[in-house]
Order: sequence, then structure tokens, then C-alpha cells
Amino acid sequence: MIEVQHLTKRYGSFTAVDDISFRVEPGEILGFLGPNGAGKTTTMRMLTGYMPATDGKAIVAGYDVFAKPIDAKARTGYLPETPPLYPDMTVREYLTFVAKIKMPKKTTAADRKTRVEQIMKRTFVDDMANRHCGRLSKGYKQRVGLAQALIHDPEVLILDEPTAGLDPKQIIETRDLIRSLAGNHTVVLSTHILPEVAQTCARVVIINKGKVVAVDTPDNLTRQLRGASSLYVQVDVSGGDAHDTLVGVPGVTKVGVADRHDGVVGYELHAEQQRDVRRDVARAIVDRGMGLLEMRPMRMSLEDIFLQLTTQETKDGAGAPGANDVPPAEQAAAMVAEGDPNA
Amino acid sequence: MRNALAIANKELRGYFASPIGWVICGLFSLMFGYFFYAYVEVFLKNSMQSQMGNGGPMNINILLIRPLLSNATVIILFMLPSITMRTYSEEKRSGTIELLLTSPITDWEIIIGKFLGAMGLYCTLLLATMAHMAILFAYGRPEFRPLIAGYIGLVLLGGCFVSMGLFVSSLTKNQVIAGVGTFIAGLLFWVINWLADSASPTTSAILSYLSITEHFDDFAKGVIDTKHVIFYLSFITFGLFLTSKSVDTERWKG
Repeated sequence: MIEVQHLTKRYGSFTAVDDISFRVEPGEILGFLGPNGAGKTTTMRMLTGYMPATDGKAIVAGYDVFAKPIDAKARTGYLPETPPLYPDMTVREYLTFVAKIKMPKKTTAADRKTRVEQIMKRTFVDDMANRHCGRLSKGYKQRVGLAQALIHDPEVLILDEPTAGLDPKQIIETRDLIRSLAGNHTVVLSTHILPEVAQTCARVVIINKGKVVAVDTPDNLTRQLRGASSLYVQVDVSGGDAHDTLVGVPGVTKVGVADRHDGVVGYELHAEQQRDVRRDVARAIVDRGMGLLEMRPMRMSLEDIFLQLTTQETKDGAGAPGANDVPPAEQAAAMVAEGDPNA
Repeated sequence: MRNALAIANKELRGYFASPIGWVICGLFSLMFGYFFYAYVEVFLKNSMQSQMGNGGPMNINILLIRPLLSNATVIILFMLPSITMRTYSEEKRSGTIELLLTSPITDWEIIIGKFLGAMGLYCTLLLATMAHMAILFAYGRPEFRPLIAGYIGLVLLGGCFVSMGLFVSSLTKNQVIAGVGTFIAGLLFWVINWLADSASPTTSAILSYLSITEHFDDFAKGVIDTKHVIFYLSFITFGLFLTSKSVDTERWKG
């Protein structure tokens, strides 16, 4: 569990993180999204106790990070932006050293050894166990970094761009690994790869210029930010025109042509909010003897939302939809399953 | 303490996993060997003369070991900055400091660990010089206890350089700056009593008290004076204290 209350970090007159508050439930994966320089890394560094906050409070795994740093750190695993590896150590030596300083004091040497072997297997670095960290490829370095964060089986995992620099196969493996951690671990991960958030995270915090712009499930964000609901309808008009028919459907407020070729026209419909016009639209088209080829809800991609939220200054954090509601866990779980392209 | 030992162990392994530790050991032994050879030559020449009747009995402790150890401190002044220069600056440059500062260990455990690690390498250097001393024992009859006192002095003196080196290294990401900075700081404490003669009595007393080498003279003679032990220990503690403040400041700056 992570609770962040009014966290603020100032460097002189520059405010890097400005009064951020959010909460991560146990076992949840939270995505931390924002353009470069938005304050993601600074926030993460405050959560891990690397740097103190100017103001505010952060509670990680039940311990105040600033009042009880050792207790909080013992329950936190952290993967910084650059994996903190010692180039002269082999992977096994390195993980053994990290195990020594991170695992509880009463752990025996034999237990530590088993744990190191186990975590190397889990993060797919066991084949490089005797290679020096400095001679590993970027992908392996990143995964040894992840192994380092996981070694003491922390309640909370904080990952700063965990998939940066990996090849597509490794990205998928790493995401699967992170997803498999949900439930037992509370995970916060930052990224600027947007689909990644949709695929791995139950909830998203979007921050810009040190402020929280939105907190919600990727699903809700897409839906609520769309404003009025809109549909894409592809119709085989066979020389005719479906425009009038569509305008005539009750609830439809606006009809536009999205694409047109060989007698097939794609329309973009806007409907009144909270009103499902799909049945009526389908019936109207079929009744006119035209072919309904495709109908799907149009959604803004996360990219659109991201751009909209981070470039629009009028829409402030408090006004963003659902800033305070916490989605039910099963919805979160469903999201994760749904967003998985490899499932 | 277990954490500090884990860090010390990591530091010590770090020296010998890279060429640094071996090069330092090799060069230090080379220089010490040369000093030893030169002093033995002088000693032999003098004792030959004394046998011809124009001198008193030769004391190997006073005429060989004492100047040898005193001059060995020069090698230490030059070598120790290269031992401590990477302790903090390298961790800061490569980002591994983030691992240490986010692990459930205190700043002091890290500092003590790094201090012990550097001292471990330094003591290895001193251990290597014992071979030369063994030669003296094989062919002469030097007194054992003054020699021990001398080595205790060397360990304390080295401790001062190490704690100073840790502090300078914690100030910068750049190893070269850390190394040169430590060397200059060490040199300053070396020559600080040069002005003692021309200064007012109070200033003069302060300046000679601050001189690292002046406190070593008694150790070289084989005397362990608590006054000097306390000076060295407070110097070391103060250096480590400054390091902890510097690490803490760095956190606030980010």
C-alpha cells in the first residue's frame, strides 16, 4: 500500500513536484505517466527515501518514508532509471551483495543463496550469472536491475521505466513478469510508452509539470475524456447516401463522413451522452436496405488523452474526471486481462 | 554493523576485481622497497664507519626503522588519494548510490563500510611492508615493540587520509577532482606547521597541533602517546562526520 499526501519538492524557486496526492491499493499496479521532466523520477525518488520531500507525507507499506526510512526501505524494491549495477561484479556476486544489505538480518547465508538463484531464474538472467555486470547487454542490465529490486520480496515495487531499452520480446517478458507480481506486490511504474500503461496498469496517474492531471483506470480515462460518445459506422450505401437516415435516428447529434471508397462510406456519429444509439442506428440502416458492414465505438487512444491532458492548461487536476474514485478490484483485474495483447 | 561489513567487503573486492587494487599494491611495494633499500645502504655504510672506531653503537630502531617509517608517510600521502578517490564519486557517477541510499541501511553504515574497505586495502599495503621488516629481524636484532608502535601510527595516519578522502570524494562525481582534492588537502595538513615558526605563539601552537606529520614523530620513535592517538581518532571522526553531512546535503539537492 502506498499513500501519498500533498507531496511537494522544491529546488529553490523551482517546484519539481507540486502537491501530489494519490493512493495505491495493495496488490495494484499503478502507472505513472507524464512527459519528460514532469516530476515522475523525483516523485519516485521521494517514495523510495532517496531524497526527502520539501513538504507532504508518503506512507509506504505502512511506514512513513521520512519518519521511519529503514522500515519503509526494507519493504520497498526500487529500479532506478539506470540500473544501479557495479560493472566489476558478476551478476551472482552483485545480487548476493544486494541480498546482504536488503534482506532481513536474520536470513542465513544458505537462504540468501537460494533466493539469489531463484530470482535470477525468475528474471531470466540465470544464464548470465557469472558474467560481469559491466559486460551485459542493455536488456540484461535492466533485468538484473529488476532482480535487485525483487530480491528481498518487497511489498512495494517502484519501477522507473522498467522496459526502457529492451527489445520487443524482452518488453513482453518484462511486462508479463510485472503483471505476475500484481496481487502479491503493490507496483508503481513510470513510463512514457502509453500502450504499456493500458496493458499493464490497473490505474494511471498522469502528471504534468509536477501536478497530478488525472487519476483513473485507463478505460475510464478513455471513456470519460471522449465527452459525448461517438461511433464509427461503415455502410455499403450502393450509390446512395445514408447521411439523412443517420441524422434521423433519435439521439444522434452529429454525423460526419470519415472515409469513402467504392460505394462504402464510413460515418462518424456523435450521440447524446449516456445514450446508446447503436440498436437504432443498425435498424435504420438495415430498414433502408443498405448493408451495415462495421460499427464500433470510437475511443480516444491514451496518446490522445495524454496530449489533451498535458497540453491543455485550462483543464486543471481537480476538474479531471474521477480524480478521487477508486475502481473496484475486479474491474482492475478485468482491465489487465483485457489489455493483454498476448493473451 | 553487518551492513557496514557487507559494504566493506564489497569495496575491498571492488579494488581487487579491477586493476586499481593490484596497481596500488604493486607501486606502493615498489616505492617502499626502494626506500628500504636506500636506508639499509646508508645504515650499512654508517655501521661500517662506526666499526672503524669513529662512532658509538648503532641502533637499528633509531637509525633505520624510525626514518624509514617517517619517510614512508610520504608514499602514503601520494597513494591514499588514489584509494579513496572513487569511493563516493564513482557511485554517484554510475548511479549505484541510488541502490545504497534506497536500501534499508543507514548513511553511517555506508560510510563506516567504505572507511573499513579503504582501510582494508591500506592495511594490505602495510602488511606487504612487513616482509622488509622480517629481513631486519632475520639479520639483526631490532626491538619489536617500537616497530609495533610505528605501525599503529601508520594505520592511524592512513585513517586520517582515508576519512579526508571519503569526504572529498563525497563532494564530487569526478574521480580526478576527488583524487587531486584529497592530495592537496593532505598536503596542506602536511605543511601547515611550516608557518608555525613565524607565527604568534598561539597560532603557532594551533598550526603545529593540526599538522598530521608532527603527531607521527612519536609513533616513529616507538612511543604511543594518547595525545596523538586522540588527535588522529578525532581527525578521523571529524572527516567521517563531514562525509555524512555531505551525503545528507546531496540528498536534499537531489
